[in-house]
Amino acid sequence: MQIKNGKDFWAGLMFVGAGLSFMLVSLNYPMGSAVRMGPAYFPTVLGGMLAVLGAMVFFRAFVSKFEHPLKVFPFRPLLLVASIVVGGATYFYFAESQLKGAPMLQMLQFALTGLALILFIGAFGPRAMFLILLAVVIFGYALKPLGLVLAIVILIVLSAAGGHDFRKKEIVILSIVLVLFGVFVFVKGLGLPFNLWPGE
Amino acid sequence: MEFDLIHNLGIGFGVALSLQNLMYCFIGVLLGTLVGVLPGIGPLATIAMLLPITFNLSPISALIMLAGIYYGAQYGGSTTAILVNLPGESSSVITCLDGYQMARQGRAGPALAIAAMASFFAGCVATVIIALFAPPLAEVALKFGPAEYFSLMVLGLVGATVLAAGSLVKAIAMTILGLLLGVVGTDVNSGIARFSFGLSELSDGINFVVVAMGLFGFAEIIINLEQGANREVFVNKVTGLMPTWKDLKSSSGAILRGTALGSMLGILPGGGALLSSFAAYTLEKKIGDTSNFGKGEIRGVAAPEAANNAGAQTSFIPLLTLGIPSNPVMALMIGAMMIQGIAPGPQVMTERPELFWGMITSMWIGNLLLVILNLPLIGMWVKLLTVPYRLLYPAILLFCCVGVYSLSNQPFDVMLTALFGLLGYVFVKLECEPAPLILGFILGPLMEENLRRAMLLSRGDATVFFTKPISGVLLGIAILLLLITLAPAVRKTREVAFQE
Repeated sequence: MQIKNGKDFWAGLMFVGAGLSFMLVSLNYPMGSAVRMGPAYFPTVLGGMLAVLGAMVFFRAFVSKFEHPLKVFPFRPLLLVASIVVGGATYFYFAESQLKGAPMLQMLQFALTGLALILFIGAFGPRAMFLILLAVVIFGYALKPLGLVLAIVILIVLSAAGGHDFRKKEIVILSIVLVLFGVFVFVKGLGLPFNLWPGE
Repeated sequence: MEFDLIHNLGIGFGVALSLQNLMYCFIGVLLGTLVGVLPGIGPLATIAMLLPITFNLSPISALIMLAGIYYGAQYGGSTTAILVNLPGESSSVITCLDGYQMARQGRAGPALAIAAMASFFAGCVATVIIALFAPPLAEVALKFGPAEYFSLMVLGLVGATVLAAGSLVKAIAMTILGLLLGVVGTDVNSGIARFSFGLSELSDGINFVVVAMGLFGFAEIIINLEQGANREVFVNKVTGLMPTWKDLKSSSGAILRGTALGSMLGILPGGGALLSSFAAYTLEKKIGDTSNFGKGEIRGVAAPEAANNAGAQTSFIPLLTLGIPSNPVMALMIGAMMIQGIAPGPQVMTERPELFWGMITSMWIGNLLLVILNLPLIGMWVKLLTVPYRLLYPAILLFCCVGVYSLSNQPFDVMLTALFGLLGYVFVKLECEPAPLILGFILGPLMEENLRRAMLLSRGDATVFFTKPISGVLLGIAILLLLITLAPAVRKTREVAFQE
């Protein structure tokens, strides 16, 4: 048996995986009956349907008349494994531990979760995607502690680094223009509740 | 009945012509044209971006502005298609074929003028069609029980999957994945937070804007950067806007046919501007003298432009009467209505007539504004095209991030959007169309709720969906649609149609 259509192969696996995961998690909720459906009913049925459809797509990959290589996009399995290990360990350790209040531990949990997330994003796709999504995530978490101005600069510089030609002068000008736009339109004009500088 | 119509339109104009609403209509169509001109950012991302900002507006102003963005984008898209052979909007892909050829022959002016006229005419007709057909449809919908609603949603989802590009099985799987993602969050009946993994941020469910922005906004930027799209812009000088008498004569029929076809296809679930323009062009190519198509035939501009505008507008009918979105943009409009505390559905027309009719008449006004706005401003729009993408995408990214962050003022939503961006990239690479997923996501909770109620009322008898007449007919149509799509002959044309 040879995989002819790499896209169908991965898509099938993805659907089967998603369907089974939804069914598995639904086991934690009451099923109910057809008359009085519990919270697990709808997702279990749909998860099953998704898994079946995914299996169809998966097996079609072997008989497809369209040919696509198995390598559809850049994929780094080692990073994915590392992400799952770090993320899973953090999730279960902190779910069990009763020391939630301690600030040091909270910081540690935050940092480890962030690391798992960054590893996860890095496991898929081209360099541009990693930088863009990293820029977005950092913007989200930097907005409150660092303020709008610095967050915008970080977002612009990081995301511009994901492009093909990075021109320093242009990026500086773009950052200034967008910071001014952000301050005057978002904060002054639309009244969005952002602080401009750290610790305000 | 006719008196009613005039009376209702009177209410509508009263609302839409107020200074404030006129201004928001203007902002909407201006923004719409802007994003229509700029490739790489569509109406969907724009509306998603602006959603949080509409919190502070009155409901009617918010809806008028958001609607303006959608049909304004159809106008803007055609401008770039004709002048630089770049579809600013996916629905103007087809306009490139003959529009750009006309521009190369030095007839960019007439092409733009005909496109604007066709759009305006289609917009006017579609407005009247909405005004005529929405009220009776809403009346029928008021009689709907949970079984009927459930079947209607099944039909809507089937329609969307049938019309999605690519493999049918994958499209159905994507719809179901969307339904499942829609279920995340607290279950209304039992109060159990499902699939939230103990995260309090997920107990209210995933915000729709997060999904839409990630799958469409972020993913598109990533794909554009990966392909390293080089956009070279050659701008032809636009001289003489007026079409000749011969142009007008040959395109008038095309405009009429395009409008009729677009109005019909817009109502269909999964329909809208994109499908309408493709269908209209295909139809035109089968009628009369076809030797000139692809070489600057004016009918090849007129018909799809009329059709995409008509389709964009009539796709509001299912939304306004049934509360069911027919495409992702309409799904966002539902989101906008819910933010304003309006439950979309047939009751909107009777309970909030000023909202319903105000929005419809604003579409007519918006179309007029677009004609006045677009033709003189063409030079400015074209200049915008010379802004390189490497400067554009960080700005787009910033607007997206601010929009998402404002949803709850928490970084969690931004992080989740990034993950959906990753998912969107994977979907594109695996040829899984994300549009059905979005529809499923919006309909997921509604569908579950109606299914539960219908089953409770029928005491667990699932045949109720077939034995109730309206529900049975709706499900019958859905099954028929699926069977037709699976028929070998249709399958073949479908493959061809999506390859063109």
